[in-house]
Amino acid sequence: MHFSFFHLMPWTDLPEAPTQWPARNAPFNPERGTELYDTYMSTMAHAEACGFDWVGANEHHFSPYSMMANCNLVGAAMTQRTKSIKLAMLGNLLPLLNPVRVAEEYAMLDVMSGGRLVAGFVRGIPHEYIAYNVSPDESRGRMREALNIILKAWTEPEPFGWEGEFYQYRAISIWPKPRQTPHPRILMSASNLESAQFVGEFPSMVGLTLVGDLDVARSIIDSFRESANAHGRNPSPEDILVGQQTCIADTDEEAEERMAEALAYFHGVLMRPQQDAQRIVIQKSRFFGQEGAGDYFMKRLQTLKGRTIKQQIEAGSILCGSPQTVVKQIKRLKQHLGTGHINMNMKLGTMPDSAVIHGMELFRDKVLPEVRAL
Amino acid sequence: MTEISFSTRDVALSSGPLRVRSGGKGRPLVHLHSTAGPRETKVLEAMADHHLVHAPVMPGFDGTAKHASVTTIIGLADLVAGYISQECGGEADVMGESFGGWIGLWLAARHPALIGQLVLEAPAGLRRKELIAVPKDDAHLFSMRHAVPENAPKEANPETRKANRQAMQDYAQGVEFDEPLAGKLGDIKARTLVLMGSQDGIIPRDSGHILKAGIPQSHLTYIWGAAHAIEFDQPARASALILDFLDRGESFLVRQAAGAA
Repeated sequence: MHFSFFHLMPWTDLPEAPTQWPARNAPFNPERGTELYDTYMSTMAHAEACGFDWVGANEHHFSPYSMMANCNLVGAAMTQRTKSIKLAMLGNLLPLLNPVRVAEEYAMLDVMSGGRLVAGFVRGIPHEYIAYNVSPDESRGRMREALNIILKAWTEPEPFGWEGEFYQYRAISIWPKPRQTPHPRILMSASNLESAQFVGEFPSMVGLTLVGDLDVARSIIDSFRESANAHGRNPSPEDILVGQQTCIADTDEEAEERMAEALAYFHGVLMRPQQDAQRIVIQKSRFFGQEGAGDYFMKRLQTLKGRTIKQQIEAGSILCGSPQTVVKQIKRLKQHLGTGHINMNMKLGTMPDSAVIHGMELFRDKVLPEVRAL
Repeated sequence: MTEISFSTRDVALSSGPLRVRSGGKGRPLVHLHSTAGPRETKVLEAMADHHLVHAPVMPGFDGTAKHASVTTIIGLADLVAGYISQECGGEADVMGESFGGWIGLWLAARHPALIGQLVLEAPAGLRRKELIAVPKDDAHLFSMRHAVPENAPKEANPETRKANRQAMQDYAQGVEFDEPLAGKLGDIKARTLVLMGSQDGIIPRDSGHILKAGIPQSHLTYIWGAAHAIEFDQPARASALILDFLDRGESFLVRQAAGAA
């Protein structure tokens, strides 16, 4: 099995939840921000020494939930701090961005890192569409068209133009091109059957996060496999990535206690302001084309928030416990979902950075040797 | 778009009569049809809003008589050159669809002084054998041609379709990759716009790359949401782009502000 260390780069110092979205930025302290970036990037670079296959980052806007408005900047820093670990950008919010710029920045990262980029393309969570003033109704159409432009930008041997529904370019010829051929490995996320079908249309891995129920997650993976098969591909377990909020400590009790405290801040403070914005987008747009998908999206977060740590472990939503316990939980995920890649988000809310580092090293010393060969 | 009426007439050329449908006003634009034969399209109508469109029917298509002395693609190119000299004041812009694009390429290579600008829509003639897709069945063949099924034209009657296909095969003489033409691309002086459908199943992307690399002043553009039949799949996208290219030449690379003339 393969493993990623993922960092959300949360702001840890809010005394109480913002009441509105977007969260006002008056409490942001730039000096503290500099400290956090330094700590977070050192932690991410340490993932290489801890045996992780990928180190991952993503993109969010207008929220203390994540200080990563552009994960490619973090990726660029990682090209200089690491030697061999894959750099997983998970990913750029494609419908909100200029696809040529995304193709260029990803190609730069791939060349700068010596061919270590994993190129994530995500549609994003609903409220990001308010931040960048793009119609949520257009999200799927923009995503499909932009992805086709990027694949061409990476692979066409001659300059080309593009006349599309959302994008028009009269001449594209990016410098540099990616180092990996024909192009870097692609990953797209799927949180419902519709998006799983969409991902299966492309030569892409699928990524699931915030698993609320193993059976639902399994149905999403099955839908991805079915779509990929219909498009002439047969995904391997390594093509299925499952994201898990993770806390590994010396004992189960310590891990559960740390996780409970960190998730209380994560759900109660960091996630709070965007819930209203997400509700508005879901209710007032066709962001989710499939009936019930919007309700499922909103309920999933509420469900996770309302569950105890033990209930979340049982549901397959988180990895939490001593190394021996986490090994069992990983085996269970492998068995139920057929996944060959787990993406671990270990810096949850106010989780102390020293505890994150310790968990990473427990993973290296006591978990990885037991699960690598799965 | 204004209502344009097209009229059809037979023009006497040295090799024989040529049936031509024409309409619109402005700078002459010669439209060369595909293997399917001459068809009415929204793109043609849009062109006639700004150009005097000449749409000749290649001899042998749609029940017209062949010319005894015209037996090859090059022969057709020379025939169109004769038509431009005689009927278009000695110079015209040219656009060609698929088979018509092949003719347009030879026309531009052999008669550069007659051609203003050249537009090629998924042109045939440069398909490497190993890249030609073989359809599994009729439905697959249809999807290789049409990405927007509801826009597909009503098929001509089976006899006409068969005769048109036979006429194309007679001129093409079994050639899929025209080596002599590939060697002449550098001779093309006309600024050229090559359009390829992003989902074209008939003409491989490689053909577009060969043209872009070989024609000195050329532009390759993919039309999103189009298969082989670009004029039917995406008439608005194709028309806007072609008209801008014909109107502004190389300046079409520069985006104009909304409302700019």
